[in-house]
Amino acid sequence: MYALSTRATATGAGWFPYALIAPAMLTLVIVALVPFVYTIYLSLHEMQFARVGDWAGLANYRALLGNARFWHSVWISTVFVALAVPLEFALGLLGALVLNQGVRCRSLIVPVLFVPTMMAPIVVAILWKVMLAGSWGLVSYNVLERFGILSDISVLASPALALYALVFIDVWQWTPFVMLALFAGLSSLPMAPYRAAAVDGATSVQMFRRLTIPLLMPLMAVIVLLRLIDAFKIFDTIFLLTAGGPGQATESLSLFTYKTVFDFWNLGTASATAVVIWIMFFVFSNAFYQLARRTLRAF
Amino acid sequence: MRARLPLLAVLLSIAMVTSAEAWSYKDAAKPYAGQSITILDEITPLQETMKTLVPEFVKETGIQVDYQLLNHFEVISKGQADMLSGRGAYDGVMVHSPQLGLLLQADVVRPIDDLLGNKTISNPDLDLKDVIQPAWDSVAKFKGKTYGLLDWNYNVVYWARGDVLNHPDEKAAFKKRYNYDLAPAKTLQQMRDIAEFFTRKKGEKLAGQPLESDFYGVVLEGIKGGTTFWTLWNVFIKNSGGDVFDAEGRPTIDRPENVAGLKLWAEMWKFAPPGQAEYSLIDVPTVMGNGIAAQTLAWSDFVLGIDQPGKSKYAGKFVYAGSPAGKSGTRSAETEPSMIVISKHSKKAEATYLFLQWLVDKQTQKRFFEVSKGAGVPIRESTWSLGELKQSRFAALYDAMRETLKNGRAKPKAPKIFEVMDVMSGLVQEVALGRKTAEQGLKEGQEKVLAICKKCTL
Amino acid sequence: MSTRQQAESRRRTLFSLVAAAWALIVVLPVLWMTLMMFKPEAIMFARPPVWLFPPTLAHFDYVLAQGFVWNLVASLVIALISTLLVVLVGTPAAYAFARYPIRRRDDLLLFVLATRMAPPIALAIPFYLIYARVGLLDTYVGLIVAYLTFNLSFYVWVLWSFCRDLPVELEEAARTDGYPRAHVLLRVVLPLLRPGIIATAMLCFIFAWNEFLYAFLLGGKSMETLPVAVPKLITSQGVKWGELSVVGIVALLPVLLAVFLLQRHIVRGLTMGAVKG
Repeated sequence: MYALSTRATATGAGWFPYALIAPAMLTLVIVALVPFVYTIYLSLHEMQFARVGDWAGLANYRALLGNARFWHSVWISTVFVALAVPLEFALGLLGALVLNQGVRCRSLIVPVLFVPTMMAPIVVAILWKVMLAGSWGLVSYNVLERFGILSDISVLASPALALYALVFIDVWQWTPFVMLALFAGLSSLPMAPYRAAAVDGATSVQMFRRLTIPLLMPLMAVIVLLRLIDAFKIFDTIFLLTAGGPGQATESLSLFTYKTVFDFWNLGTASATAVVIWIMFFVFSNAFYQLARRTLRAF
Repeated sequence: MRARLPLLAVLLSIAMVTSAEAWSYKDAAKPYAGQSITILDEITPLQETMKTLVPEFVKETGIQVDYQLLNHFEVISKGQADMLSGRGAYDGVMVHSPQLGLLLQADVVRPIDDLLGNKTISNPDLDLKDVIQPAWDSVAKFKGKTYGLLDWNYNVVYWARGDVLNHPDEKAAFKKRYNYDLAPAKTLQQMRDIAEFFTRKKGEKLAGQPLESDFYGVVLEGIKGGTTFWTLWNVFIKNSGGDVFDAEGRPTIDRPENVAGLKLWAEMWKFAPPGQAEYSLIDVPTVMGNGIAAQTLAWSDFVLGIDQPGKSKYAGKFVYAGSPAGKSGTRSAETEPSMIVISKHSKKAEATYLFLQWLVDKQTQKRFFEVSKGAGVPIRESTWSLGELKQSRFAALYDAMRETLKNGRAKPKAPKIFEVMDVMSGLVQEVALGRKTAEQGLKEGQEKVLAICKKCTL
Repeated sequence: MSTRQQAESRRRTLFSLVAAAWALIVVLPVLWMTLMMFKPEAIMFARPPVWLFPPTLAHFDYVLAQGFVWNLVASLVIALISTLLVVLVGTPAAYAFARYPIRRRDDLLLFVLATRMAPPIALAIPFYLIYARVGLLDTYVGLIVAYLTFNLSFYVWVLWSFCRDLPVELEEAARTDGYPRAHVLLRVVLPLLRPGIIATAMLCFIFAWNEFLYAFLLGGKSMETLPVAVPKLITSQGVKWGELSVVGIVALLPVLLAVFLLQRHIVRGLTMGAVKG
């Protein structure tokens, strides 16, 4: 059986591997670490608009963590991600498998399928506004009103439905991303194990379960983790379509942060938000990584 | 020698008198010619028109002007970021009246009193008494200082479908039901009646024709944020005798008058399209322009964009009136007097002031209305009598604007006003959607606003 | 054709139809936006919608007059350069993480990922303040550097998973043949990694091409990318829908073309040459 050994194997390499990772590490330290450390610095001070005031210790954090609105926005973002990402993953994997099976005119279909991810999020937001706006939207008038679905309700204005509409738009936009990444992954899989398995008489279902899934697991785990982190930060669509309403039905974390920064100019709270969210993600990613490593052998 | 002194004196005084009368931008700008200033303003077709005139200023004064235009949110976020961070890349920044509380508290706006009083650079023909009031005073004057000139006088007018309101069948039916004549609403109560009257389902008749889809009596902004809450506050709440703050700037959200005003606003939602809770100031003109609703309260510069041939099927069929009155004696309208302020970090205050002056100058304003073919939001009383306005297709709209502007004031100077507005905006949405009663919503509002500021105005 | 081949051919056709239908549904809103590019304003949102109409080029005129071409150039330069840098710096790192037992590897990888964990909006003003201090505002370099923050972590993590699927035997064979490590990396590994590199680089390019918040805040008159041109068309006197559609669709085209041209590098298909079974 083909050895599924994917652990690091080379030994005695000396300084070579460190030379390989050095440029990336250095770049990240300068470019990402510096602003973040500065943000931590800001979060520990009283901020008067853009001027750094006195040392505030953890006051900003206490205020943030005691702010019900903050927790509500975390909740909304969590619900959003919990609905959107599994759908994107399932549909994306399905699509990648279909493409990998071989479709005719694939070179035409793949770019077209990929269009939603290729569009700027701000344009996507406007596009779906044109589609879903109450009464004058294309889908609102031609599909919903014509067939009497959801009569007298506008999806984006409904506290119950607005979040689902936003989930739908996110799935529309990001499924192709998952699909392309997994399709590239599937195309890169080595053929040898499959040939060996075919010689041994394995069925395609068995090959899928025993070869494809484990081989693809690292990539799948990475894509899911990345989508989880990125979907949490969604902003453009919510801002343009519902502005966090109706009420607080769609006020995601990014919207809360946007208002804190640009409407209220409360930089102390905003910086504390950045740090708190970072910590939450860090803990989560760590747990995800360890879990995926142990149970799924993904890492 | 002796004899020449009196002659010299006479010559000098003649020279002084003639030079005082010959004030010109060119002369005043001489010490600053060659300087470059950067101005940030908000983009709408009005500013785009103004931009075409800016080269005339540059030519006359030799001051280079980089007149940058950004959209509403960006003007606020980038403009404030620039001023508050001390970067000072912009010499002049356009600010909306609610921004002033924060900017004054942060002390990043340069007062212009010294420049106004400087006879060398101040145009004696500026005629500031001609500037529309109370717009200018309410936005620019604070604690004895002046912070800018009035640049853009946005205002909300009553806008309705004239073809539908004037139809004989409709007029007869309305009179029968409500006992008064159907006409553009003068009061909020009338607006409500008209809204109720015209809300019809697909298939029913409207102005003699069967409707191909649902029609609504009114459409208003309802999205969280935006200018939804300002209109509710300045039109419905104030005209019901209430207010968000008292005279000392303390929150009085749950006053009975406020409850009445909010109830009236919420009632309008019954006669509005289902999407109202997502409608911003861009949806409202789209809905009106596509013939989905009968009335609205909308920003007049929007109307300028829609009521034109080629922009809407119903162009030419609209009627306008000033912002409606309430039951109480006070009259209030929603307006947004905006000005370009000089940043405290600007090193070219005089050059910037010359440009800002030029913008509001009688000549420039007249030129503006010529070039825009009579489309704009006047800042001067004398503009109303310009031929371009009187003969333009928007003559009725201008009457409506004039009426509105008599009763419009800038927002209070409260540094945390955006937080207050944000909280209240969500709450009143819930009231309008029937998820809370007006009393509950406003009581909750009072608690939340008190947590933001006990005394909110500067 | 044998029955097995016939069945496979039928299956392929079925899948092709499914994929084509899916593609069409997904792209229908975008097709509508394409129509909007040419539609006169008065009938833009007519109910019922108007499908046949005399087209207008007014929207294109306005967009061009606004200097839209410069936005296109700016976006191209910034997205290309930042992607190139990310590939240059990230590829060796991804490979090293996969192949070598680096000390504290897990921690380093998590650090790499951690650089994208803080919400960009919250970091926007600190970035702005730092850039204002060092004079990087409104510069190409400034934005390219900012994009390195987001794209490098993404690139390293995704490519790392591709690297782990590489068959180790080839590299070991080359090493036993006496080739130096660098040679193995360049001549053996990179060609095998090509699909992964191209796919991931393409995604990085797309993120940089479409990014809005930082391009807006850290940019200015000298440096304005395509997404930043969009809000200017949303004025408080109405949205310029036709012009928006022009910008949106034209911004899509270069990326669409790139994907179309590069896709064959992603799909290695069934001819996998080097690996001996």
